[in-house]
Amino acid sequence: MLRFLTTSGDNTESVDIAIVGGGPAGLALACALSSSQAIRESLKITLIEGGDLSKVRTWQGHGDIYSNRVSSITNASRQFLEDINVWEKVESERTTPIEEMQVWDGISDARIVFAANELSSVSSQPIQEMARLTENLNLQRALLQCLEAYPGVSLLDKTKVDAINQMDNGWPVLSLANGRKIQTRLLVGADGFNSPVRSFANISSFGWSYDTQAIVATLSHIPRITTEYQGPNTTAYQRFLKTGPIAFLPLSPTASSLVWSTTPSLAKVLLQSETGVLAAMINAAFRLPYISLDYLQDAILQSHSQGTPLTTPAILDEIRWREKSHGIDIQSAHSSCQPVDELVGIPPAEADLLPPLVLSIQEGTAASFPVRFNHAEAYIGEGEGARTALLGDAAHTVHPLAGQGLNLGLADAQSLARCIETAVLRGGDIGSYTALMPYPQERYFENHKIMAVTDKLHKIYRSDLGPVVWARTVGVEVLNELLPLKAAMMFQAGAQSTNNHFSKDMSAFKLLTLGVEFASSGMDLAKSLLKNLGGAANSVFQYSNKLK
Amino acid sequence: MNLLLSTSLKCSRHIRPSLRCSATRYLQTTINKDEINHFSKLSSHWWDEKGEFGLLHRMNPVRVQYILEKLQEVEEAENTVSSSSKYLNGRALSGLDVVDVGCGGGLLSEALARLGANTLAIDASESNITIASLHASKDPLLTGPNAKLEYRHTSSEELIKESRRFDVVCSMEVLEHVDNPALFLHSCCDLLKPGGHLFMSTVARTPLSYFLTIFMAEQVLRKVTPGTHHYDKFVNSEELVNFFHEEMGWFTGVPGRLQAESRGIIYLPWKDEWILAGRNDPFTTECNYMFWARKPL
Repeated sequence: MLRFLTTSGDNTESVDIAIVGGGPAGLALACALSSSQAIRESLKITLIEGGDLSKVRTWQGHGDIYSNRVSSITNASRQFLEDINVWEKVESERTTPIEEMQVWDGISDARIVFAANELSSVSSQPIQEMARLTENLNLQRALLQCLEAYPGVSLLDKTKVDAINQMDNGWPVLSLANGRKIQTRLLVGADGFNSPVRSFANISSFGWSYDTQAIVATLSHIPRITTEYQGPNTTAYQRFLKTGPIAFLPLSPTASSLVWSTTPSLAKVLLQSETGVLAAMINAAFRLPYISLDYLQDAILQSHSQGTPLTTPAILDEIRWREKSHGIDIQSAHSSCQPVDELVGIPPAEADLLPPLVLSIQEGTAASFPVRFNHAEAYIGEGEGARTALLGDAAHTVHPLAGQGLNLGLADAQSLARCIETAVLRGGDIGSYTALMPYPQERYFENHKIMAVTDKLHKIYRSDLGPVVWARTVGVEVLNELLPLKAAMMFQAGAQSTNNHFSKDMSAFKLLTLGVEFASSGMDLAKSLLKNLGGAANSVFQYSNKLK
Repeated sequence: MNLLLSTSLKCSRHIRPSLRCSATRYLQTTINKDEINHFSKLSSHWWDEKGEFGLLHRMNPVRVQYILEKLQEVEEAENTVSSSSKYLNGRALSGLDVVDVGCGGGLLSEALARLGANTLAIDASESNITIASLHASKDPLLTGPNAKLEYRHTSSEELIKESRRFDVVCSMEVLEHVDNPALFLHSCCDLLKPGGHLFMSTVARTPLSYFLTIFMAEQVLRKVTPGTHHYDKFVNSEELVNFFHEEMGWFTGVPGRLQAESRGIIYLPWKDEWILAGRNDPFTTECNYMFWARKPL
């Protein structure tokens, strides 16, 4: 990026905060700032977005058709959105509570179940849900509506930032594509993974790409409606496969969202195949024993490389044949080929352990994106990049397996807004290091912790090595049994600080992190066992480390 | 703790002689040439937030917090109408005439001006004023026709010769650097309008303050240039209370909470942050503390 000193010319406008990026994190920051009287009455704020926000503004959900970008909003995030008067503008009919989570190991089938009512039993306050699923657009539209109620924030969409420079008074100045120049006391980068603000601030980031592609899609499936025999479609399912986790997130009785992290080659081939193949493979990926799933994935890859991609009937035949050899009855819940027209009335046994059978993929919703781990080395700039702050994906990119990306961004927005408000009330210069310092102090390690656990989860479950599988299986099974005890202990710890601290902050994901701690201690045990077994075993373990 | 307590009592009995004498008011100056030279040499570092004055940058929000809380407390005690909304809009000092005596680089002065106060900031070091003015000139809010911030190279003793009087006089970390503190305090009090507020922050003369501000901050950690502080110039809060009681006659006996108050401010090294101690927390005024007193109407 070109860097030269600029003096403020006649046509340079001056603002207090310029937010680059109109995604959920940037919009949430603008809303949170506007909800503070002190900020509203003393600061001039501009939000700059390259894309066209009118598409978001006029977005309308249609019946059972859902966008493929959905997020789970944790109770803490929801509380924040309620506080800044955004949640009331989210169309609640299009959101779904997650009341239960079923997570299991693709190899050992060890399963952990998180149920909201299980948490309620040890909480002073009832917890109805762990999180709420919503289309990102539903949230973004609510944020935009909220912003329009505050005229103090000027929204510049369809406006690209051409260059960012530092003026001789140390303020960043934005040169916009439409010729305008804006100098700002504080420049906030909510501009995503390839953040131009981050490169202006000269903040490096560390991370890696996982060699994993996440497939997203909206699934149409057999209805799951509350009856005598089954609960509503409010359970999220996640199976950890060797190639990455596959997750099923409920949206309505007949529609759910998919996030399937897998190898880039398989993702590419699945997205090129007939949608029937993808639907069949999704059903199989939740149901088939791993050895057969592995075989099917290889078969699909091979058929593609030979130029004769498998058709839907062919893949269904394959699945039927593999199920037969595993002794899976076609009427059982574990079959991907249950006769659909018979799926009314009493569901088969154990149907609640698995997501409802996928019938088709909603048109145009299958897509994929690369999975990355990335964390900026600082959230606030110094020296030549002073007066900058990063939030959301510009600061961190996290594996989608725990659905935490958006929540981290919202928590950043909340923290940064609070930090700015405090500075305003104390007469501070909101662009100064002193004023901004509480923000990274509050967020950096909090984010890092969650990112690290997510990363470890990904890596632990990528292994199919005996001791690792054993350790994670034991860890998860023990934790599943101890969960009420664990939860009770955590409630007590939380109850001492604030009354509803726990219910606000508790998420299934945090409980899952306990599981990882457990699993890693299991791994340590396995490690020491192996060391005693001598050279041969050691070399095996070194190999497994390499794999990690 | 016992040791600390007995020492502090001893200190309070052994009052700095200079706090008692004020016979030669205004015939002499309180400015110490060595101190001025010391701070002039360091003046270019004023706005390096991680450097020499980093600790003061961190302290600044707490100073402002105390000033606002105290003003609000007094205001609410006197008015039946709640004034809390004024303290929520970021312009809490609107309409007040404030002087910042010994403004240094202008850390506090800028904050006061941002909060809406008509701020006059003075310092005995010309280079401090130069640095402070230069820094403020970079901020459009603090320059231009509506600016509420004015810097002047002068001293409080000079300023009282003018007719201008103030609602609030602030003097942060200055008392421990002046010669003849009694004279200095007199001039600060004279700058106040009746009913005006004097806010100061300074360092107590205790073994703890010696250990923290001189031994640790200057000699061990070198966070502050050695020679910045002089132990024998430190002033205890009891001495200040006595001064305003005996010398100024602003109150009798123990001051009420609307008359004068000392509040400790404590540095938390693990958070690189200062906090304001509770009103009656014991021993918190043994090192850095804020002092407030109100001139009778």
